[in-house]
This record gives sequence, C-alpha cells and structure tokens, in this order.
Amino acid sequence: MKPLEARLLAAHAADDREALVALYTEAADQSDEADARGFFLTHAYVFALELGAPQASALRQRLVEMGREPPLQEVSDKSR
Amino acid sequence: MDQSQTDLSNVRRPIAEANGLPNAHYTDPAVFDEEKHALLYDGWSGLAVAADVPEIGDAVPLNFLGMPLLLIRDRQGQVRVFQNICRHRGMILVDAPRKIEGAIRCPYHSWCYSTEGRLVSTPHVGGPGQNKHDGIDRALLGLMEVRSHIWMGVVWINVSGTAPDFTVANADLLARWAEFDRPLYHGGADSTFKLEVNCNWKLAVENYCESYHLPWVHPGLNSYSRLEDHYHIEQAGLYAGQGTFVYRQIRGEGDEVFPDFEGLSDKWDTAAEYITAFPNVLLGVHRDHTFAIILEPQGPEKTCEHVHLFYATPQTDDDLRARNAKQWKEVFVEDIFVVEGMQRGRHAVSFDGGRFSPAMDGPTHLFHAWVAGRLDHQRAMVQAAE
Repeated sequence: MKPLEARLLAAHAADDREALVALYTEAADQSDEADARGFFLTHAYVFALELGAPQASALRQRLVEMGREPPLQEVSDKSR
Repeated sequence: MDQSQTDLSNVRRPIAEANGLPNAHYTDPAVFDEEKHALLYDGWSGLAVAADVPEIGDAVPLNFLGMPLLLIRDRQGQVRVFQNICRHRGMILVDAPRKIEGAIRCPYHSWCYSTEGRLVSTPHVGGPGQNKHDGIDRALLGLMEVRSHIWMGVVWINVSGTAPDFTVANADLLARWAEFDRPLYHGGADSTFKLEVNCNWKLAVENYCESYHLPWVHPGLNSYSRLEDHYHIEQAGLYAGQGTFVYRQIRGEGDEVFPDFEGLSDKWDTAAEYITAFPNVLLGVHRDHTFAIILEPQGPEKTCEHVHLFYATPQTDDDLRARNAKQWKEVFVEDIFVVEGMQRGRHAVSFDGGRFSPAMDGPTHLFHAWVAGRLDHQRAMVQAAE
C-alpha cells in the first residue's frame, strides 16, 4: 500500500471526499501528538460534514472530547 | 431637487395630462441604480422559480442586480435564499448548481453552514486543530438570509427586509386570483425558456400591461381575440394588466386539452388574465395553465426574461406541452422588436416620456405612476436623512 501521505494527495487530486474522510481519520489515529490528531480529525470531520456522511457525529464527538469543538446544543439537522 | 434627479412631476398627473417616465429611466446607470433600490430591493421582486430547486439540498447560485445569492431547498424542504458568501472572508460559497449532500463548505477556509444557514463548523479558527475561539460566536455568524416567499411557483424576495409581509403587500392580487392558489406543477425543461432582450426591464412591463398593441403586434390573435374582448386591470400602487373574455384552450391532434385547475368558477371557462405584479413579474392565468415571466434586469438597457409554464397536474401530454411552450414563445418573441425599438427611442433627446392614450394606456400609466411614487418616496427619505 502507498504511504498515507501519497494516498491523501491522490484523494485530494481526485476530489474523492469519501476517501478524504477515511484517510484523515486514519492520519488522526496514527498521530501521537494531540495537535496533529486534532488537525487531522478536523479535516476528516469537515469533509464528513460536507458529505452528510454518518461518520460526522463520531468525529465531532472526538473533537468535543479533546476540547477542540464546542458541544452541540441540539441536533436537528444531519448537516450539523 | 437634486440636480442629478429626474423630474417626475408630470408622470403622476391624470393620464390625459401625464407624460411617461423621462429617458434617463431607461438609459442612465445612475437612475438604474436608484430604481434598483427603490423598486427592486425595497419591494417583493421575482428571483427564480421553486422548481429550480426541486429536491432537498438542491442549490443554485444566482446573480440579482449584481448581488450574489444562493437559492436552496433545505433539509426540511423549505426554499430559502441566502447571500452567497461566507461570513469569514466574503468568499463565494457555491459557484455552480449542485446538490448539497450535507453542509455548504466554503472552498476557502472550509467554514461550513447547514442548509438552514447555521454556521456549523469553523475549522482551525482558534489555531491548528482548534475549531473554536471566544471571539467567534457561531450563533451570530449564520448565512445572511434574504426574505423570501413562494407564490404562483415564483420565489419572491425582499432584499431590503423592509417591505410588509408578502401576503400583506400583495393581498389584493392574492384575493383576486385566490382560485389559482393551489399546487402548480412546473412543466419541466420543455416549459421554460429565456429571452435576452436589449431593453430596460420596465419596457417589458409596460408592453405586457396593455392590450392596445395586440392587434398590431400579435395579429394572429385577431381571429378569435379581438381588442374589444379585452379589459384593463388597474390596481393603483399594486399591479396592472389586462384580461380577455375569449381565452381558447390549445388542443392537440386528437382534440385533447390540458386538465383544468379544480374548482374554478365559470368565469374562467373563457377568461384569462395577464398581470404584472410590481415590480418585475409578469403573470398569466388560464383555466388549464399559468405562466410567470421573471424579468432579470441586467443593466439599464439589457434584460433577461425567464419564462416558466405551470400546469394543474404533475403529468401532462408531452406533445401538447411542447406546443403550448412554442406558441407562447412565438407570442413573446413578437414583442421583442417593440421593446427594443422603444429602448432605442429613449436615446432621442427631445422625447418627453410620451403621451398616453387615455382610453387604452391606463395600465401602463398606472405602472409609471407607481414607479414615480416609489422614487418620490425614496427621494424624500434620503432628503429627510440629510
């Protein structure tokens, strides 16, 4: 398998947002450092949010638990 | 009076003594801009049709008098209009029609908005990987929504936010056509077309309002719809147009017709009405179809006419629908040389706005008087503020 960075660049080049969600999540999971993990999780979350992908809520929750995303006041829209 | 302002004193006089709007109202960019605010932003203007965004998440960027707007059908199915810019750096959010699957993501720094306009994500706003900051209150930074209302299939907007509610502002017209306040089904791709015309948008209104020109410009109508079969529709300050007592349904090869709207009174068996809802929407109603022409002013001397036909049922005969669109397009195209000719005529420096036929031009004069009244009001407001 290609290195993660190469796969990320390929996904960006192809504008494959589903792949970007998965790859940025993978990058976050591989990061030992909190800021890097927050950075990658943020990207995974944003692309999931844009797609209306089911992973969005879990990604958001991870960011909330890291203190990097405000907790939701209410959930009424899948795009939140 | 400001030296740069046009003299409208004659326009609002009784029709037998009045002159039409001065040339500058058709040619001068400064007057176009003045009218943009007084007539188009302050009132309820037609922007698009709800059928432009038939499904949830459908989003269409539009340009209205230079302002970037986003027409969208939100997750609850409601049609909304937003200013098509991010609250961060004013970047255009959506630059081509597309489906919003989840959130609207700004292509610049990826701030994200729900289809209802809420700001839902501000990535890295507090630094790398930190998506919140005390200085960023998402609740205050949603998309800027433009007031909108759907009627007759048209999306109407009030840019200034100062007009009375649509149903109040247009109560008289809504009551007049209450029988048509029912689901209208857009005929689809073969029932919409655009006409690019080299004229000021008001000339299209003026021509549409009156029946005086019909026997000369649309001679095909003479065989069954004579001038004397028409009547004026005049509601000062609100709308103007014309009606006919002898509408004849289009028929197919096998004598088939479109289904009627349910519950219409007997009047509509043979009647049809054509009204301009001020400022920029030309509407027509018949027993079996309606249409809306949204005038998109593109400059003092350029207008795009967006024509849409609607029916009483979701499915209609394909051939008949195509023939109906073709028939209406022929009629509307017949009007182009007139409105473009009047536009060129507005460069004749001695033209005084013209004289109206007291008998035949009532609806057109009523429109001119409405324009003048709105401009007088705006000028008084500006003067009072100074």
